[in-house]
Amino acid sequence: MENLEALLHGFTIALSGNHIFLMLIGVLLGILVGVLPGLGAPNGVSLLLPLTFGMQPVSAIILLSCMYWGALFGGSVTSILFNIPGEPSSVATTFDGYPMARDGRPTTALATAFGSAAFGALAGVVLITLSASWVAKVALAFGPPEYFAVYFLAFASFVGMGGSPPVKTLVSLAIGFALAAVGIDTVSGSVRLTMGIDELVKGVSFVVAVMGLFGIGELLIAVEDEFHVKAISSRVDWREVFRTLIHLPRYGWALLRSAAIGCWMGITPGGPTAASFMSYGIAKRFSSRRANFGKGEPEGIIAPETADHAAGTSALLPMLSLGIPGSATAAVMMGGLMIWGLNPGPMLFIEQKDFVWGLIASMYLGNVVAVILVLLTVPVFAALMRVPFFIIAPLIVIICTVGAYSVSNSYLDVVLMMGFGILGYLFKKLHYPLAPLVLATVIGDKAEDAFRQSMLMSRGSLSIFFSNTLVTTLVFLGAALLVLPVIWRAVGKIRAQFAPTR
Amino acid sequence: MRIMVSRRSLETATALLTGAFGAAVVVSSYGNGIGWSSAGVDPGTFPFLVGLIILSGSIFNLAQGWLQAREVVLRPSELKRLGMLFIPAAVYVGIIPLIGIYAASAAYVFGALAWHRRGAFIFSGLAAIGTAVALYLIFELMFQISLPRGLLGDALGF
Repeated sequence: MENLEALLHGFTIALSGNHIFLMLIGVLLGILVGVLPGLGAPNGVSLLLPLTFGMQPVSAIILLSCMYWGALFGGSVTSILFNIPGEPSSVATTFDGYPMARDGRPTTALATAFGSAAFGALAGVVLITLSASWVAKVALAFGPPEYFAVYFLAFASFVGMGGSPPVKTLVSLAIGFALAAVGIDTVSGSVRLTMGIDELVKGVSFVVAVMGLFGIGELLIAVEDEFHVKAISSRVDWREVFRTLIHLPRYGWALLRSAAIGCWMGITPGGPTAASFMSYGIAKRFSSRRANFGKGEPEGIIAPETADHAAGTSALLPMLSLGIPGSATAAVMMGGLMIWGLNPGPMLFIEQKDFVWGLIASMYLGNVVAVILVLLTVPVFAALMRVPFFIIAPLIVIICTVGAYSVSNSYLDVVLMMGFGILGYLFKKLHYPLAPLVLATVIGDKAEDAFRQSMLMSRGSLSIFFSNTLVTTLVFLGAALLVLPVIWRAVGKIRAQFAPTR
Repeated sequence: MRIMVSRRSLETATALLTGAFGAAVVVSSYGNGIGWSSAGVDPGTFPFLVGLIILSGSIFNLAQGWLQAREVVLRPSELKRLGMLFIPAAVYVGIIPLIGIYAASAAYVFGALAWHRRGAFIFSGLAAIGTAVALYLIFELMFQISLPRGLLGDALGF
């Protein structure tokens, strides 16, 4: 109850004209950076940071966090409309969001995404409100073995499912791991897999790979067909937006489950990207409409979006309470906190009550503002789908090129991006799954580091992964997710053999 | 020109591509050291194993792709459309070091629009200029990311 009282006090701080205005500005700028691939929430927050030096800390964090919400929402827009994820964490949204938009239902796809995203964010904020002081203890229990177990769980829940040929899945996953290893090895400091190209020391950026694989690759697949985009109704139907939102509670179980996964991955620093992939994988495994996944299944949009936003929101919790940022953006914001003269950590909740609870209250309001603004801009984004393909195609190529370049001001990245485009086309054409490759590229090196650090701690003994309840549970859960489908399939086959012929 | 591409040749080409990458990873990471040393798991171990997986998986895919039926997956008309998208895009990326991203993007948009709407040169020209200006406003001014000007830009001092 003490927390609720503090929250009400927070609302009195956040609900001023000045702060509402900052929320609007933050969300709008956030949507812009979210929509542009190559620019993401971390870049946007970094660029705004200098502007906040003269502000009150509460106002500053409200501006920055609202930009973060805007970017999370904006990232889903391009994923759904163009199959270009604006943010790493919205990759999983492309799997079903893009097919749905392509089939002539962009409004439904966007409304589903925004609705479930809002639910996920709300779940994250409620969690923060209720558990701000308690969570510090759980997160402190996380060492390298637990990190590895969480990543293992994320892989396990995603890999091995679906109808792709297993060997092709394996090759795709392994290529992702290899790409993640390119550059400087963070454990030993040695340079790996640069193939004699010095510039590759910086590694292969995830954004470059994704824009090539999804943006260019999909473009090449789409251009083969005579009819590119089906006729889409000439105006956005507001009733369709509301109908979609009203129907969301039908997916109540998926929403709750995805929010739980997201909150968990946000607090334990698995991060929004791993959360969205894991949630999508689990949704696909347990859904009764499995076959529909990848073809525009609403649950395939709800699962990653809810988890993404729940994780993005709850990632601020370990940052505030422990000083451990759960995502790249949270890390930039933590830098801001220190510049404003605040020390993140448990003491923040005691010494800076106004700041902490003002921020938490602004999360509720900021997400409401973000949902309203992004829904109002749906017609603008949906109108983009009606632009003829021969205009859109060069624009997508230009956006991918500029996006790849702006990641680290390197022309090599542009060339790599085009290479990934060809690879993406070949893989898509021949039914190699792209998702395992992307997931491994994003968290492969972190998983490897965590594994090697665990091995250092235990001097090479695998028993460290069974050394306490937390890590053992995680490992067994992961193993179960890998093995169970195989058993189910076997049982199904046996049952089919003994079933009486009808 | 009536070239057709079978699934068999596409599968073979892809498997050779991934196999070559796997082999490169194996060779390159072997140099980083594999196995266990006083500093823990050596840096090359993990990529080495991953490379082996890619290589053996590619060989499997190569064999399986070779055994598959020779159904045609790319007809001449599809190949033509693919080429009409990919070749200009590759040329666009290729000329960026020469004339910079602004001029290249404008030329690319102008070329693509003028080709599809023959005669609409004013529309295409406006769209081309609009693209370059939009890129400048968003990246150069708003987010302070300097896009490459190429050799042409250097020569003009832009």
